[in-house]
Amino acid sequence: MLELLSFGPNGWGGQLLSGLAMTIAVSVSSFTLGILFGSAGAAAKLSHSLILNGIAEVYTTIVRGVPELLVIYLLFFGGSGAIMAVAGIFGYEGYIEIDAFSIGVAAVGLISGAYSTEVIRGAVQAVPVGQIEAARACGMSRWLILRRVLVPQTLRYALPGLGNVWQLTLKDTALISVTALAEIMRVAHVASGSTRQPFLFYSTAAVLYLLLTTVSTAAFERAERRANRGVRRA
Amino acid sequence: MHRHPPVSDTAPAAVVVEDLHKRFGELEVLKGVSLTARVGDVITMIGSSGSGKSTLLRCINMLEIPDEGRVTIGGETIGLKKIRNGRSTVPADARQVERIRTRLGMVFQSFNLWTHMTILENVIEAPVHVLGVPRAEAVDRARMLLDKVGILAKADSYPVQLSGGQQQRAAIARALAMQPKVMLFDEPTSALDPELVGEVLRVIRQLADEGNTMILVTHEMGFAREVASKVVFLHQGRIEEEGAPDKVLTNPDSDRVRQFLARHLSGAA
Repeated sequence: MLELLSFGPNGWGGQLLSGLAMTIAVSVSSFTLGILFGSAGAAAKLSHSLILNGIAEVYTTIVRGVPELLVIYLLFFGGSGAIMAVAGIFGYEGYIEIDAFSIGVAAVGLISGAYSTEVIRGAVQAVPVGQIEAARACGMSRWLILRRVLVPQTLRYALPGLGNVWQLTLKDTALISVTALAEIMRVAHVASGSTRQPFLFYSTAAVLYLLLTTVSTAAFERAERRANRGVRRA
Repeated sequence: MHRHPPVSDTAPAAVVVEDLHKRFGELEVLKGVSLTARVGDVITMIGSSGSGKSTLLRCINMLEIPDEGRVTIGGETIGLKKIRNGRSTVPADARQVERIRTRLGMVFQSFNLWTHMTILENVIEAPVHVLGVPRAEAVDRARMLLDKVGILAKADSYPVQLSGGQQQRAAIARALAMQPKVMLFDEPTSALDPELVGEVLRVIRQLADEGNTMILVTHEMGFAREVASKVVFLHQGRIEEEGAPDKVLTNPDSDRVRQFLARHLSGAA
């Protein structure tokens, strides 16, 4: 039976491995996109502009308030239509299809970003005002303060929360198996259907996810220790 | 007893504050304050809490933006403009404010050393990234300054590993690293345990003796008298009395100053 997991001609090893690689690729891309959305969302929520506040509030409320699978369906089935409609305005009439990977990354990134927004907003607010005032007092520009003081200090407060978001994002990628993108979940589903060994393949998938979460949790702990230099007494 | 030598009325003005007003919501904290610090002056500002002395200090380097009035540093007046139909004031040119701040060293009550950097990194940060001083040169100068304030051994420690007094001395070194024309101290010993106050005051006194121009908000009356060339007493957002320390602190004209001193000098020499 274990032959089914081998890399031979009758084994699913090769496909599971490429599924693993696909899951990693989607997770890393979505999480990165989520950090970008989250930074923009946090900046908007913390800005003095009521319009930006409103946009960010609508974004996080909707994305966090509806099932994640629904967000993926909306983007998968509505995304191409929306882009074609926009292209139509500019006079392009052809058919545009967006690949499952891009749609998946966009959908999971959107979800991930909604959670990152709250994490980053909270972390920025946790930075003591005096840290920023000291930087202003010696003539630093806004950009320099952001780069040299605000971001490093925000990161320290945000890392534990972002570790959580990363784990959620990693698991959310399983949902985009509904778009037939060959990540771990999709490969396990196809393999169990064709071999009639669902328990074997789904438990293999579980082991692969656990492997990813364990390794990444350790990596986040390392990063937290590094970012916390100087916070706790050595 | 130690006294600061008087500063000539003809010495060039380092800081000129004219008719400064500052409101926080409904509360008017400064109600028209004018003050001149000449090169070599050590001005100590005293007064009850809420008298506006910290706000006045923070208006000098635009950490608070005054609603009305003018601040001139080394002959250059900071441009301000009204926004939102005159309800709010902002700097006309952020770059000008940044440039002027490099000439004003600020020391805070709560030190505000950057916690994610070592002491040495704190001291070289602004010289390297704001003034563009070569790193090696900034490090040499930082080590000299840390030696001067007596914490060179702590150069590679993080702020949290230092006592309050050591952190405040590091913060003074950080401000000095910019080679400022004027040093601003906002209650530099108020957050310290009593036994750590002396080591910080010693450093500030040395800076005063070296002829640095300084404006200092403090509650240490004995110290104010020793280092100051001029004492300014603020009361409810106005200057109640100003003058030579021996005059203001021993024989003031104002009854309010008299009452304040009676409360604060009881027991002190």
